[in-house]
Amino acid sequence: MRRPPLLNSVAVLFVFLLSSADVVSGAKAGPAFPRDNYVAGWVRSERTLRFERSNLFDYIDGGAELFLEFGFDVLLVQRYKESNAKGDDEIALEIYQMESAEAALGIYLTKCGKETPVGGIKERNSGDRYQFSIVKGDCFIQVNNFGGDGKLMPVMLKLTQRTLASIPKGPPVTLLSRLPEKDFISGSGLIFRGPYALQSIFTFGSGDVLQLRGNVFGVTGDYAGPEGGVYTRLLILYPEPKAALSAFENLSNNLDPYLEVVSRLENGFTFRDYRDKFGTVELKNDVMEIKINLPEKPETTER
Amino acid sequence: MKSQSYDSMKSSFDLNRRDFLRIGGAFGIGLLLGNTSAWAQENQKVAPPAKIKTNIDDALKTFTTGRSLPGPFPGRVVEVCDQKAMANDRPVPEVVRTMFEKGVRQLTGKNLKKSFGMFFEKGDVVGIKVNPVGAGLINTRLEVVDATIEWLTKNGIKPDNIVIWDRYDFMLKEAGFTSERYPGVGIVGLQTMGETEEESGQSEGGSKAEGEGQGRTQGESTSEGKNEGASSWLDKNGNHVSAGNFDMDVYYWADVEGPKDKAYLNQHVFNGKYSYFGKLLTQRLTKIVNIPVFKNSGNGISMATKNLGYGSICNTNRLHNPLFFDVCTEVLAFPVIRTKLVLNITDGLRAQYDGGPMPVAEFAYPMSTLFFATDPFALDMTCHRLMVEKRKSMQVKVNEHPIFTDYFRYAERLGLGIADPEKIEHVRI
Repeated sequence: MRRPPLLNSVAVLFVFLLSSADVVSGAKAGPAFPRDNYVAGWVRSERTLRFERSNLFDYIDGGAELFLEFGFDVLLVQRYKESNAKGDDEIALEIYQMESAEAALGIYLTKCGKETPVGGIKERNSGDRYQFSIVKGDCFIQVNNFGGDGKLMPVMLKLTQRTLASIPKGPPVTLLSRLPEKDFISGSGLIFRGPYALQSIFTFGSGDVLQLRGNVFGVTGDYAGPEGGVYTRLLILYPEPKAALSAFENLSNNLDPYLEVVSRLENGFTFRDYRDKFGTVELKNDVMEIKINLPEKPETTER
Repeated sequence: MKSQSYDSMKSSFDLNRRDFLRIGGAFGIGLLLGNTSAWAQENQKVAPPAKIKTNIDDALKTFTTGRSLPGPFPGRVVEVCDQKAMANDRPVPEVVRTMFEKGVRQLTGKNLKKSFGMFFEKGDVVGIKVNPVGAGLINTRLEVVDATIEWLTKNGIKPDNIVIWDRYDFMLKEAGFTSERYPGVGIVGLQTMGETEEESGQSEGGSKAEGEGQGRTQGESTSEGKNEGASSWLDKNGNHVSAGNFDMDVYYWADVEGPKDKAYLNQHVFNGKYSYFGKLLTQRLTKIVNIPVFKNSGNGISMATKNLGYGSICNTNRLHNPLFFDVCTEVLAFPVIRTKLVLNITDGLRAQYDGGPMPVAEFAYPMSTLFFATDPFALDMTCHRLMVEKRKSMQVKVNEHPIFTDYFRYAERLGLGIADPEKIEHVRI
């Protein structure tokens, strides 16, 4: 994560009034950073940094693509230090404003791993003494203390609480409820919106083979299979049946060479992968349902 | 080590994909949904990206000296683990020093002094390539660099002939690689990067105050060069101030353009189709010691070959998507790396198994391990497999598709290293 160098040149500060012009332009009121001394002695150590789509790479040296794919809007960064302290302890607050609450939750789930909630934070979160990750509304927030001093946990907590108070709750995200409940393994749900997020799950082909195009969400989760096995189900939620069909045909035409079609179904096909595991692709109106990591060839109605 | 061969699969089925499509795979669906196949055929299809042309042939034409990748120990990887190496998430210098000595000894079969003679001469200028990303959490540990410098100076390399380097100057500073910490030793970032936007905005309670930010205001970004101070990274001729740090005669060319926007130029110095090597490498360094960090990059890794593949040249962001990890192979094939890279030490004192290459504390953990190899591809293949094991053990989703390791096999075909696990000698001590 970058901290831009302090330059000798005199920088110009822009002061923006939240005017009706902002509303007209589509800008929304965003989160507010806690003032100096939000905890006694803790003050902002540098100016606020702001990153947009065009220069997010300036801050994230590797991995920015994932944020962009999910629908990144603005990143604001504010660092805090303890005034008059001899040490170099520093806490960095990062607020990633995403296009939607779905996008924010998607990034959060991708980043948080096995959730270990921090006490004292009401919103969905995971963290430890190094880093808190929180999702609220259309914001994904990280509070970093890469020095790792556990004594700073209360300071991190206060900073988090104060920041969250300024962020609207946002609408509930229902995407994951599209996954069937039966045999679903709790905690395994993820959201994706493009090939980068999909990479961690499975490779179906090169590029955007599922035609997600940065605006089609998909959800995935693990399911308990027979004899203790686990398979993975993906649902890609296209806006209309035509888009789903187009994506299906594109997938069929450009299926990854390490996948072998073994049978044709009435509305899809079954494949075998390079590990001798099986998968199915089925088109169901405007949804493409894919199952992977099946230990046996599924018993389906073949054409 | 056993590996599964991933040569192209031979169909053992009566019905292959082409047959399936030919007999109307989508036609059946057309019937199911109504006659929409015609619409779908008209709709633009996303074709898989074509193989991007590069100047790899230029790299391979060049005569190879005796000292060239994969070095004197192709396929040999030494893993040294000591649980006492980390205390309270901080390296213990004396333990790290001992691990360093064990690793070098095991790799070369000789003591430190004799090992030095296998790789260096006293007049060498040695560049130590670190990875400063994620300062404080998962950057290359200073203690590993200390042990390396101690080895070099004890055997006759002058401190001013040692350079700790990375792509970005500010990252080195953030990670603690400063002239105060390393007196006499060079600290070189191949490039600088201009300051990012600052703005005033909203603080709690809605008042305005300098340095307090609010989202979705519409400020101008200095990286876009719109205001005074914005041009801090531009010289009076409109070129990046770091342009002179790159060698226009030594480059990696790939048939893909870098974006034209100012933000990209700020971070990448040049756009276009050329990625120039840093002059530090082409004109000053005679040897390179590579000290990456044990961390992932999605389903792949960001370790030895990526540390140099993406760290030695500019204008790299354009390469990520179309060339994927192949850059890590092709850039190392150029003589400026191939004939100078003598040792790789992967720093796994504190590692990260997911969320990489950016730092994510949730996935960082004390691994207390260092890896040593002259062959960066054998080293990375070994570490990739260990990373997969670790990810699985932590219940992280793992996609083991061969695409994430193809670049190692590509390197083996080019003679740059060993990728076949059957041929890798992985020694654990």
